[in-house]
Amino acid sequence: MHRAGISKQIRLLLAALLLMPLLTGCWDRLEIDERAVVLGVSIDEVTSEEAAERESEVSHVKGSLPPPKQGMVKVGVQIALPGRIPLGPGEGGGSNDTMQTVWVITVVGHSMDDAFMNLQQQVSSELFFGHLRIIVVSEAIAKKGMENINDYFRRNPEVRRMAWLMVSKGKALGLMTAAPKLERIPTLYLMSTLDNSIKMGKFPKDYIGVYWSNSSKKGQEGFLPYVAIKDEQNVEIQGLAYFRGEHMVGVTKPFEVAGYLGLRGVNPAGYRAVIMLDENDPNSTVMTNVTHRRSVIKLRLKDGVPHFDIYIELEANLEEKMSEEFEINNPDIIARIERVQSDASVKFYQNIIKKTQSKGSDIFGFGEHVRAKKPKYWNQYVKTKEAWQEKYKEVTFNIDVIVKIRRIGMKAI
Amino acid sequence: MENTDSRQITLIQASAILISTIIGVGVLPLPLFAVRAADSAAPLVTIFAIGVAFLGIALLTWLGMRFPNQSIFQYGNDIIGKWLGTIGSIVVIVFFAVLTSLTAREFGEVVVTSVLKSTPVEVTVIVMLTLAAISARRSITTFAYFHTFYFPLLLVPCVLIAILSLGNAEVINLQPILLTSPNNAFMGTFTIAALFQGSFIMTVVIPAMRKPKKAMKASLFGILVSGGLYLIIVVASVSVFGAEEIKKLLWPTLELAKGASLPANVLERLDAAFLAVWVTAVFTTLLSSYFLTSVALKQVLHLKEHQVFTFILLPIVFFMAMLPQNVTHLYVIIEDIGRVGLYITMAYPGLLLLIAMLRKKRGERNA
Amino acid sequence: MKRKESPSNSLKAYEGQPLSGSLESFDHITKELFDGTEDLSIRRFHVFGQHKAAMYSFSHMVQQSSVNEDIIKPLMHIPHHLQGRSFAPDELPDVILYEALYHGDVAREQKVDNVIKAILAGSTVILIEGVGEAIVISTRSIEKRGIEQPATEQVIRGPREGFIETLNTNLALIRYRLQSTDLRIKMREIGRRTKSKVAICYMDGIADPEILKELDRRMEPIDIDGVLDSGYLEQFIEDNKWSPFPQVQYTERPDKIVANLMEGRIAILVDGSPLALVVPTVFNQFYQTVEDYTERFMLMSAIRMARLVALMFSLVFPSLYVAIISFNPELIPTEFAVAVAGGRAGVPFPAVVEVLIMEVSMEVLREATIRLPQQVGGALSIVGVLVVGQAAVSAGFASPITVVIIALTTIGSFATPAYNAALALRLLRFPLIIMAGMFGLYGIMIGLIIIANHLLALKSFGVPYLSPLVPGNFQGMKDLLIRGPLGSLTKRPVFLNPQDSVKFRRKENDDAAGKQQDNPSPS
Repeated sequence: MHRAGISKQIRLLLAALLLMPLLTGCWDRLEIDERAVVLGVSIDEVTSEEAAERESEVSHVKGSLPPPKQGMVKVGVQIALPGRIPLGPGEGGGSNDTMQTVWVITVVGHSMDDAFMNLQQQVSSELFFGHLRIIVVSEAIAKKGMENINDYFRRNPEVRRMAWLMVSKGKALGLMTAAPKLERIPTLYLMSTLDNSIKMGKFPKDYIGVYWSNSSKKGQEGFLPYVAIKDEQNVEIQGLAYFRGEHMVGVTKPFEVAGYLGLRGVNPAGYRAVIMLDENDPNSTVMTNVTHRRSVIKLRLKDGVPHFDIYIELEANLEEKMSEEFEINNPDIIARIERVQSDASVKFYQNIIKKTQSKGSDIFGFGEHVRAKKPKYWNQYVKTKEAWQEKYKEVTFNIDVIVKIRRIGMKAI
Repeated sequence: MENTDSRQITLIQASAILISTIIGVGVLPLPLFAVRAADSAAPLVTIFAIGVAFLGIALLTWLGMRFPNQSIFQYGNDIIGKWLGTIGSIVVIVFFAVLTSLTAREFGEVVVTSVLKSTPVEVTVIVMLTLAAISARRSITTFAYFHTFYFPLLLVPCVLIAILSLGNAEVINLQPILLTSPNNAFMGTFTIAALFQGSFIMTVVIPAMRKPKKAMKASLFGILVSGGLYLIIVVASVSVFGAEEIKKLLWPTLELAKGASLPANVLERLDAAFLAVWVTAVFTTLLSSYFLTSVALKQVLHLKEHQVFTFILLPIVFFMAMLPQNVTHLYVIIEDIGRVGLYITMAYPGLLLLIAMLRKKRGERNA
Repeated sequence: MKRKESPSNSLKAYEGQPLSGSLESFDHITKELFDGTEDLSIRRFHVFGQHKAAMYSFSHMVQQSSVNEDIIKPLMHIPHHLQGRSFAPDELPDVILYEALYHGDVAREQKVDNVIKAILAGSTVILIEGVGEAIVISTRSIEKRGIEQPATEQVIRGPREGFIETLNTNLALIRYRLQSTDLRIKMREIGRRTKSKVAICYMDGIADPEILKELDRRMEPIDIDGVLDSGYLEQFIEDNKWSPFPQVQYTERPDKIVANLMEGRIAILVDGSPLALVVPTVFNQFYQTVEDYTERFMLMSAIRMARLVALMFSLVFPSLYVAIISFNPELIPTEFAVAVAGGRAGVPFPAVVEVLIMEVSMEVLREATIRLPQQVGGALSIVGVLVVGQAAVSAGFASPITVVIIALTTIGSFATPAYNAALALRLLRFPLIIMAGMFGLYGIMIGLIIIANHLLALKSFGVPYLSPLVPGNFQGMKDLLIRGPLGSLTKRPVFLNPQDSVKFRRKENDDAAGKQQDNPSPS
């Protein structure tokens, strides 16, 4: 017992001695209020005149480095201003001016990191990307290619995989300076717009991590939300920006997002469809709300080309009709609505697939089905992402849609 | 009042030692190793690796049960003679010292890359090593207590993260489940099997087990649970990310934690929390290899206590940990050493077992 | 070096010396030993009106009325049946003992030193001229307080009695709850000067004799001049004095002692201390209360978990806060993070310093509240919490969230039933905060691992401190995090190595007296 006591003392002493040099440490301690919390980043193209004018000499000397092929970038960041946002649920977020809670700064740079270093030179606190929720890329940049952007954010350990990457119509910076009225912090509003549209079945889960995974896959392409600023400083999701490799190749219509969701069988469902029972009579229109989607994708090889049989089942509720000329009070008329809607849907789905096929951008991941289910074929004829991008154009489809209307609301007719 | 009976370790404790030793920093790059080997057949390769690992531990356990009162460093001398046995033991000791340092360095790199970005890697390594060195001074019974206490802590975060990421999983990422190109898979199997090398600790556990006859059961159980956990992690990451994405990630498991968030946004991302809990996993792994090294040294030098070695080893292990130049260099070394290690941790016991059977050597069976 | 002779040493000079039978010489001895001691009363009288005698006692320690009525009266006034008879001096002790004295607890003593010791202990001693024997009558009567509710261990449901300072009363409290022949009470005397009586209680046939032996081995070498409380003793018998964790439990509840005795533990009571010690002790005892067993098991299981949460809170909460604020703010929700940053914006110190300052001032406040007279204490605590907290925030000295964290931590530490265990965790909080300030979450984990390793290696009388969690024992786990129904707790804790392990046998018609039932025969 005595011995144990002594060795304990020695141990304590040693531990204390070992801790001594560590006391000088605290290398990483950085208080939350000393960090420049970056909430949103926008990435825009920059004209060569503006670039030349604003280029800083932080990471390299001016003129020593030719601008990269895609051109230089203009990065805008939204930094939260501590102290401007009251603690707790206080006097709501009715501020009209974005500048009150956040600070938007723009810089130009050759690459992402270069731009951020230029920015760091102008901001006293250390930039902190742990709360980066929104990255907006302008359409022009997305078309030029996302390699550098993807690489930078994937490499940075602070960036979360649950952040949103999106493509903006026009200038991306606009989304940083927008001041929506619902939230105290504009980017959080933008984020909740997208998160809520997932909950309402209007948009697929497409966080930056999902986008990365999708675009890495050999038999699939990535896509991103395509957003635009509206008059009231609000933001509208205008469709999917789809990619081929790292380059954006096209945009869908907002309603075509429903096509994507239907083909993938994503739930919950939330899109409404206009059904015209009589092609010549606009008054015969009813609206249905799809509540549940199910899709089965069957793959077979037809003449050495993959052929997909897609069965989609939609459950819907009737929401509205335009006139009293006809009554919805018997299964026959419901059956008719179902038939019309399923015919329309087949065309609709075919169109959206064709659209992506023409660009060679398989955002639905049909190629993954080929890779997963026909590995022999895949290894023999496809093997690479590029090969599939070409092959996708030849793939044939057969789409079957079954619509089931379950409920018609509180009205009897 | 110290219990004079040194055979205190129960079946559950022995399994716990194995499990928490095997589960360590290797889990972080594990999906990357598996996917590199076989793309979407990564789970299958993992299962192969579990099989190989079990074969290795089964050989060792079998040998241990033949000599229930001795460890490999003692019966090695009996089986193949004093000189060859000592050489074998020294090779094992050096290997585990290297393994200890690589584990510490690997975790140090993870911590410095992802959480403590400005802290020198030396500091994180020395902290972990000191912790292991101090704890390795205890008796084997306390050593068993350490492992029994920590092993539930290792299972929880892994399973939790797997469950939380289920929402983003896609079955199609796991297909085809069969191998498409067997060549890489072969090497990959051994790379993953090398992650199980900590199970060599069994050789010093068996002589302290209450019923050495149950050692095989403990080994089986230990490999099944830890292997099962490995499998869960591989399946979860492949199904969430897809094989191609994993190839772009250095530590896919950590990335998985990054993507998971607790319900109701209590914690928005789990990577830092996961890493914090993972300190215990790495600690138990380090503790085992450190303990094994110092106990082996004691037995080879025929000393009474292993405590002397814990602090003597510290600077040596630390120095070795600082040798790799950068993180890519580190992983090249880890994979190479791992595969070389298979000869030491599997072929050597196998050889001993064969000779022991041929020469009909046995330990006394009074246990 | 010349040392002043201590009383016990001067008494040593008379060790073994027989009484001479001369009052003169004994007076001489008392004069020498008790020189100037005013409260020693020497009363001279004649036994049966014939024999010269003297009575010695410390007048304030004896019960005067009993001395007058039962001792002096029958001795001075020759009783009825003895009238007319005369006795030789050497017959006298027998006659007095058997025929005259109205007192129960009487003894004879021949040795000078023992007589002196008896006087010191509060007995009344009668010496008769010419008789080489003293009559020692225990007339000790010490003022004691009544049995009250234990102040530190209040319960809502359960017995209300608490130990008091007097050992005999305490033993009686145990004995009446445990009317078994198996209850053994061994007495010891510890303390060179105080000669404190120490009682070691255990259940024969349940308690592990090895542990008893070990306890004896640890008590034997104790050579301290005074044992004023059981706390002195605790520090001599514990396993690891460098550990912040208590390895001996104390309680002032007799029912708790009885429950522990029946689990196979050993209780140690010290005269003059209302707190009994229990060994061996394991960690889970510190968050258990009496109600855990007297109330319904589901409710109490939930409350026990709450207590555990409070325990963990009081240990790690402030350090977690520091780690998240200064190292990993990405963990908390964005809106909250931004708001926290706002709350901290005016605070000049880093979070770790801020938390340390607040924690230290909280400790000061708490200590002050304990020391202050009761009437002032209440006022101070309100003033302290309200004014200091409010003022600190508005002065920009601390952020509001820090105040919340500190408050939660403090309250959490009060939820631990055992004061000494709570103290240990309170103390360990500080190194954890510092670790968190250096390495963030990583540092906290390192700190927790060190603490856990210490706990795992710690033993109390050979019993691993974290039993029955590690080493695991399924039966024991039923009473670890939750408290299983009494009917299912059929075994005594295995880690105590009880001789008779069955606490409760399921009979045909389930007998629910489980806990208090005594099984005389080992299974």
